[in-house]
Amino acid sequence: MSVDFFLTQTLNGLSFGGLLFLLASGFTLVFGLMRIVNLAHGAFYLVGGYIGFTTLLVTGNFWLAALVGAVAVAVLGTFVERVLLRPIRGQDMPEVLLTIGVAFVLGDLSLAIWGGDPVQLPIPGYLSGGVDLGVVSYPRFRIFVAVLGVAVGVALWFLQHRTRVGAIVRAGVDDREMIAALGVNIRLVFTGVFLFGAFLAGLSGVIGGTFLSLVPGADIEILLFALVVVILGGLGSLPGAAIGSALVGLIDSFARALVPELSFFTLFAPMAIVLVLRPHGLLGRR
Amino acid sequence: MRRLTSMSLTAKVKLILLAAAIVAGVALPYVLSPFLVSVVSLALVFGLFAMSIDLLAGFAGLVSVGHAGILATAAYGVGYVATHGGGYVAQILAGLGVGLVASIVFALMAMRTSRVYFLLITLAQGMIVWGLSIRLYSITGAENGLRDILRPSAVSAYWKYYYLCLAVLFVCGGLMWVIVRSPFGYGLRGLRDSEERVRMLGYNTTLHKFYAFVLSGFFASISGVLFVYQNEYISPAAAEFLVSGTGVLMVVLGGVGTLVGPVIGAFIITLIENELSAYVERWPTVLGAVFIITILFAPNGLVGGLSRLWRRWTGPRGRGEPETATAEEAAETEPAGRSAPSHQISTGGGK
Repeated sequence: MSVDFFLTQTLNGLSFGGLLFLLASGFTLVFGLMRIVNLAHGAFYLVGGYIGFTTLLVTGNFWLAALVGAVAVAVLGTFVERVLLRPIRGQDMPEVLLTIGVAFVLGDLSLAIWGGDPVQLPIPGYLSGGVDLGVVSYPRFRIFVAVLGVAVGVALWFLQHRTRVGAIVRAGVDDREMIAALGVNIRLVFTGVFLFGAFLAGLSGVIGGTFLSLVPGADIEILLFALVVVILGGLGSLPGAAIGSALVGLIDSFARALVPELSFFTLFAPMAIVLVLRPHGLLGRR
Repeated sequence: MRRLTSMSLTAKVKLILLAAAIVAGVALPYVLSPFLVSVVSLALVFGLFAMSIDLLAGFAGLVSVGHAGILATAAYGVGYVATHGGGYVAQILAGLGVGLVASIVFALMAMRTSRVYFLLITLAQGMIVWGLSIRLYSITGAENGLRDILRPSAVSAYWKYYYLCLAVLFVCGGLMWVIVRSPFGYGLRGLRDSEERVRMLGYNTTLHKFYAFVLSGFFASISGVLFVYQNEYISPAAAEFLVSGTGVLMVVLGGVGTLVGPVIGAFIITLIENELSAYVERWPTVLGAVFIITILFAPNGLVGGLSRLWRRWTGPRGRGEPETATAEEAAETEPAGRSAPSHQISTGGGK
């Protein structure tokens, strides 16, 4: 393995990890507070990416596209939470099965609207091109994605541990009844967290749409990566999602380069090892 | 005759329905067109597949959304040997063998978890099989799949194959019926209702779940072998999440924990898909909508809902017989436990 190969694959892995963290952090936050496993999260990603793509075609502004994609999915998420999930609140299995139905519908409707051909979003001018790293030149945008992942992680940590909203959410994770009894409108908090998770999914769709194609089936594929991230890191744990994202990103990028035929399968071994040693993930709690 | 008269009304009705199903099953090829008979064969295959999911979901409370991975593994096992010139015995043994190995590996990974954790792990497992099926060109043929996996000549005619599927479904269904009424099966229900309590009683719950998963995986492998010969073709589409999800939908639609319900669910879904596909434009949307509507409005499924109505209608008489009461209680009514498996249960936030 030459130095430039190693460096390129490491950066690929870290930037993919950054994207995975954007996606998995929302997934894990929703689970942590509401105990809802949202299997429509991958579909949220795809729909966000497609809406961003259309916005970009119309307006030509990438950041507006990212905002519109994320907000549109947040609205969609609010609908799913308020209308579909509320009647079965607290029943974890019906909730997760219902989100499978939502994933089917959204995946198929986006095929109906945007067609089956893969699309990719163009990168804004000043973030395109490469950065010279001495041994190798690396795409500037991919570095931006890795940095964005870290920035969102730090922001989420700050939000959770240093603000009032974060304190309410953490209290809700520990004891829902108690925090409701203290006069907090926990339903509103639920909706807010679900909305926020959907927002992050929509945003990551637009970001991911620049270097991964948006295509029918990409929703389930990215969901698999997010699942492996949270299975490794531990469902509901934000630091776990960070570790899991970096691990999965690195494993996947090296596997794609070294053993392309087995690239999915390489996720299997770390998952098996972690599950045998710690069934609830590296940082998960029961 | 005396035994018959001593049976409860519910048991008699069940027996009559079973007899009617057998008569209808045998008569079918004489009545329907060859195309429809093939569709029904496929429905039988998916009926077995859905039953294997229900064995885990309805009785052990472990919902697998990766079972298509096992079905596809078995199907690829048959296909690989067939395309490399192996005989039928070798094909079938290879299919069941790799299906069983996959089940054992999956079970080892998932057996220490339950509920949503179990569901997530099985989802990832199923997706990894799908990933292999589209990437591992040398074995699976990737997107092209494996073609010309011909049925054994003894069952190559469409109606003969139909009877084979029917017979296999009855035998496997009978076996599952025995399993869920055995002490092992009651142990599984204990797991579903309260794993803690079963563990306190001295059971090795992890091992229990392992056996249940492997049994379920074995039945799913049988359905995979039937599936590949039915189509004489296997492609990555068989391992898709959509297939696993549809299997779970068949279970939920028919009634979780009823074994018969999933077969009915499989019939409804397969018949609609193949018969109305010309009219139904967006099939996955329909599936997803049926999924959402079932969970919101008919959480007990068709069989669960109907048998509740029936019990209300027959009143205390149906409940009076202890034998049927236990069987039915176990199969169709709400377990009171917090950690019970399905949407039949209204509690269980799972903290």
